[in-house]
Amino acid sequence: MQTNFTLDQLADPNIAVADKILRSCVHCGFCTATCPTFVTVGDEDDSPRGRIYLIKDMLETGAPASTPVAFHLDRCLSCLACMTTCPSGVDYMHLIDYARVRVEETYERPAHDRALRAVLAAVLPYPARMRAALRAASLGRSVRGMIGTRGMLGQRLRAMLDLAPGAVAGRSSTERPGVFKAAGTRRARVALLAGCAQQVIDPGIHDATIRLLTRMGVEVVVAKGAGCCGALTHHLGKHDAALAFARANVAAWTREIGAGGLDAVVTDTSGCGTVLKDYGFLLRDTPESADAARIADLAVDISELLMRLAYQPSLTPPPGLVIAYHAACSLQHGQRVTEAPKALLRRAGFTMVEPRDPHLCCGSAGTYNILQPEMAGRLRARKLDTIAPLKPDAIVGGNVGCLTQLSGTAIPTIHTVVMLDWMAGGPRPDRLPSDAAIAATRPAAALAQDPEATWS
Amino acid sequence: MIAPEDEAGFTAAIDAAVADRAPLAIEGLGSKTGFLREMQTAETLSTRNHAGISLYAPQELIISARTGTTLAALEAKLAEGGQHLIAEPPHYAFLDGADQTIGGVVAANLSGPRRVAWGAMRDHLMGMRAVTGRGEVVRSGGRVLKNVTGLDLCKLFAGSYGTLGVMTEVTLKVLPKPQATGTVVLYGLTPEVASRALAVALGSPFSVSGAAFLPQEAAMAVGYERAITIARIEDFADSVTYRVGQLGALWAKFGTVETLETAQSVALWRAVRDAEPLPIQPGDAVWRVSVQPSRGAAVLDAGHAAGLFGYLDWGGGLAFLTGPATLAAHEVVVGAARRAKGDWWLLRAPPELRRSIDAVPREAPALAAIRQRVVASFDPAGILNPGRLFAA
Amino acid sequence: MITLPKPKPDVLARRDAVHEGLRAIMQDRGVITDPARLKPYETDGLSAYRQMPLAVVLPETTEQVAAVLRFCHQNGVRVVPRGAGTSLAGGALPLEDAVVIGMMRMNRIVEVNYRDRYAVVQAGVTNLGITKAVEADGFFYAPDPSSQLACMIGGNIGMNSGGAHCLKYGVTANNVLGIKLVTIEGEILELGGTHLDTAGYDWLGIVIGSEGQLGIATEITVRILRAPEGTRAMLAAFDGNEVAGACVDAIISSGIIPVALEFMDRPAIHACEAFAHAGYPLDAEAMLIIEVEGSVAEQDWLLGQIKEICARFNPISLKVSQSAEESAAIWKGRKGAFGAVGRISPDYLCMDGTIPTSTLPLVLRRIGEMSAQYGLQVANIFHAGDGNLHPLIMFDANDPTSMHKAEAFGADVLRLCVEVGGCLTGEHGVGVEKRDLMSVQFTEIELEAQRRVKSAFDPEWLLNTAKVFPLQAGTASAGPDALPHAA
Repeated sequence: MQTNFTLDQLADPNIAVADKILRSCVHCGFCTATCPTFVTVGDEDDSPRGRIYLIKDMLETGAPASTPVAFHLDRCLSCLACMTTCPSGVDYMHLIDYARVRVEETYERPAHDRALRAVLAAVLPYPARMRAALRAASLGRSVRGMIGTRGMLGQRLRAMLDLAPGAVAGRSSTERPGVFKAAGTRRARVALLAGCAQQVIDPGIHDATIRLLTRMGVEVVVAKGAGCCGALTHHLGKHDAALAFARANVAAWTREIGAGGLDAVVTDTSGCGTVLKDYGFLLRDTPESADAARIADLAVDISELLMRLAYQPSLTPPPGLVIAYHAACSLQHGQRVTEAPKALLRRAGFTMVEPRDPHLCCGSAGTYNILQPEMAGRLRARKLDTIAPLKPDAIVGGNVGCLTQLSGTAIPTIHTVVMLDWMAGGPRPDRLPSDAAIAATRPAAALAQDPEATWS
Repeated sequence: MIAPEDEAGFTAAIDAAVADRAPLAIEGLGSKTGFLREMQTAETLSTRNHAGISLYAPQELIISARTGTTLAALEAKLAEGGQHLIAEPPHYAFLDGADQTIGGVVAANLSGPRRVAWGAMRDHLMGMRAVTGRGEVVRSGGRVLKNVTGLDLCKLFAGSYGTLGVMTEVTLKVLPKPQATGTVVLYGLTPEVASRALAVALGSPFSVSGAAFLPQEAAMAVGYERAITIARIEDFADSVTYRVGQLGALWAKFGTVETLETAQSVALWRAVRDAEPLPIQPGDAVWRVSVQPSRGAAVLDAGHAAGLFGYLDWGGGLAFLTGPATLAAHEVVVGAARRAKGDWWLLRAPPELRRSIDAVPREAPALAAIRQRVVASFDPAGILNPGRLFAA
Repeated sequence: MITLPKPKPDVLARRDAVHEGLRAIMQDRGVITDPARLKPYETDGLSAYRQMPLAVVLPETTEQVAAVLRFCHQNGVRVVPRGAGTSLAGGALPLEDAVVIGMMRMNRIVEVNYRDRYAVVQAGVTNLGITKAVEADGFFYAPDPSSQLACMIGGNIGMNSGGAHCLKYGVTANNVLGIKLVTIEGEILELGGTHLDTAGYDWLGIVIGSEGQLGIATEITVRILRAPEGTRAMLAAFDGNEVAGACVDAIISSGIIPVALEFMDRPAIHACEAFAHAGYPLDAEAMLIIEVEGSVAEQDWLLGQIKEICARFNPISLKVSQSAEESAAIWKGRKGAFGAVGRISPDYLCMDGTIPTSTLPLVLRRIGEMSAQYGLQVANIFHAGDGNLHPLIMFDANDPTSMHKAEAFGADVLRLCVEVGGCLTGEHGVGVEKRDLMSVQFTEIELEAQRRVKSAFDPEWLLNTAKVFPLQAGTASAGPDALPHAA
């Protein structure tokens, strides 16, 4: 696609990168079809191609981001379905990332919006603050009914309260640095990204990862100095804050490489994994660029690592149990990990179904469900509508954000690694219905379907 | 009768008719003169002397012919190349005369049983030349299989019964003739059950290329004693054997299944194509009704209740009916077609009936206004087959 | 560059009133007038051409479409219909004084009827969306343009879209039973229905492929077909275009009609392989994708026959897909071909002429010569079964010389297609891109006959003005006042 940048503009390395990305787009429009917001609202301005065009115009004119531009870029989930679809290989992720920074720098947001974003950036990446906030939220839930449903502010407040778990767990085992020894002979040594919000919302996920890996002979390190991956602030356009998190992590794991060696940096939160794998790009202009690139190369999703380690179950699932696999966007689009989790779940013996349109985001998308509650709610409803007819006993996926977003119905949401750990000797996920309840909902023999019975 | 040998002759004839305000009856060999509405014309302009195949490129699946070429001549030429006309145009038993021209077949957009799977004559008209009512030569389409350049006048002319212009040359897509033909037969079903069986056949993955139901009296006309429900497979011999078997298994729930080999199949489907099962008496009218396939049985039943006989093709989507050429009978057919939300044609009737009634359904007023403007744009003087399709 | 008609000064002067009127009709939903929001609507799949519209309206019902058209008609405002905006011919290019009517919000499947094998869908349903809605029950919608993931059925109606499988299953016009068409006067016409043959004139036939010149389709009844038992693709690689072309002829002459028969030349093979990783033969000059369908035994037999034929033409390699995944990858490469060229060139023009298949070697040779003459690379993708040729001319839109050269090159290719007995466009439509070449294919009398049909539907020429028909020489205007027949 044609671009119009002056040589002066192109001297800015960020613009140079953006120009290269824009030039690779041929404006074919394939991306519109798999974009959750375009599919939902049917407006070119809310499609990847439309946003690319808005970004192009914003960057070419060099003007501050206008309200409509900020509005439509904010509505992008960064689910990256468009990148999976794009035949031309347009690097939309880095374009929208940079555009978000530009919006953050040049657009004067309304005061309440600014305040909310500041709060999110100041709380979510820090487990202790997060826990305190959630305790307040449990309190807040009692006054939920008093918050108005009209207006953005009311919607967002309600969204936050709805997402907070009912009971707040205590401090998790991974919140402090430490080493979890391999059972038996050590096959590998990995660093686990303990991260931030997940260990507060659902500490059981890390517990399962550590149990499963150590049982398989892997030493798991929670490195001192490592924390939030930076994704939360990154997607809010708060570039410096994101960079600071990334640098801290790179430094921490680089030290670990020096100390005991690392075979991988593993994450069980796929939203973080996408950013970890991008550290090389994120820190490309910093002194630690080489270290960052090395960490990015070491970064793997837990499902990739388990495939590499040839995961094998030791138990078989209870009869009649059916799980619905929900593909997190950060996994399927951000990291292009599509087969590994499903292969592992199948290997574990689970009967697995997938909803229609698995490529469409559930609306979680980091802080999106707080900042864009209306759109997030529509996407959640759409996703649940495609899952419900499958009548699964649980929704299983690899990202805590999705699991939280899709919770709140009769169907529990459980992390993939928790299910895999269970079949390898770990505890039964307590959210699962009892074996008796599962057997009761599933007729012994499924009704034989004669496709012609319906129309002949 | 004016029967030019070249395109300039058609132009001259039309120019003269425009100058004299003398309406022309447009025809080929006149086999369908008794179709649709009766006209008042001063002269007949025929394509019968404008014949000959102008291009045949078998490996490009294309044949071009001047419109006075007989259907038989065209089919013979294609047979030399092992090919055939895809839409299987009918040679109705109730036509006037022994043969028809390819121009007439296209202008009437008449298709046989294969239409249900492979499309109508209009679908395979890749290009044409015509002289319009302005005496102007207009080409549309071409000699290639895929063409979306400009408005597709080919489609407008196919089925226009010579009311927009006189086609002088047509180019048609053709396909290889199948190596073998097989038919699966069920006996004695009611129209309703038969139409369900046909839906199963057409909804199967076996590429059924014909699906018809002949009630007892129609079946008897082609040598069967009871009603027959038939589905056809055309393909390479091994495929036909396999698919006929598969289809038979699918149909087993409807009754005992028999199968026909190639020679028998070809003869039976030719009869179905040509409306031979219709028990037409001299002076009878013939109607053709196109409806959503599942509604064909109701059309047949309504006709039967009023003393009309007929049969179903196109999986139930095409009903042929015949009976006395009365206004009452016509209204029965029209009523049944309307209830089924379909279309109807009064194909054959004595002039008295054809003068007084609509031969095809009237359009809604907004569409009728557009139609009048479109027709006038090709034939401003109103001299080409005036009133053949619509009274006004 | 393309010339657009002079905007109507009176319409531009009433911009605010037009916006107000549209908002009133739409009850303040789905009317875009802010320039920043209009920007992404200034172009479609042919991004070399751009023009900001007066407004964009996103209706949700047929009645809204009718009300907007009635309003535009009463106020003399031009209208540009838009589906997904994937046109490669600039079919949805706006005009400065025109309201763009985007059909994307009308994306509902209204009815599916398996017994009678049809589906009723709104214009904004994607082509693939129809198949997705019925595939679990074993059915599909046959026309499959390469952009089928994104392109919408309303746009398919406009362009009479084809696809790789139309050799067997036909194009859009062969697969549509009914259309709800809104005229510029706001009348809602029901054309066709749920039955095969419609009495009277073939309005479906003239509307399909009319590129929004006659009205706006809001609801379409399409035929759905039961899918075959299975399909399998094979790749045949050759060391020359001529020999691959001869092989195509031999296959057709044998009486076998594969469901798809696609040809790619060396640059196209390389670009697509980089995207799809389908195992395309990178050492070949030309490659055929041949697909057959039926039971496994039938596929084996057909592929066996085809392999025997191919063997007579000294293929470099013959490879039959061994799994559904392999077949999917083979098609992913082909269907993503246009975008994949974006990997090797920042911009491309996609030509869409059709030629008699026997002229393929000659045409490819001449295109090669033109490529050298213009100094621009070209990749060729060809629906070999039906003669539809897609040369992708690669250029750099940031370099005006390169852009002009590409346009001239493209025009030369299309002239060549007509010269050898073919046509300007097989499935993409004329749009704005090939508008001025129409006189290469048609006489003035023939164009005039088509224009009169347009006038019968749209007497003031408000619908998608300046597309399809060449502007009157020197006047840069379009519409009845500039047309010879207006007098």
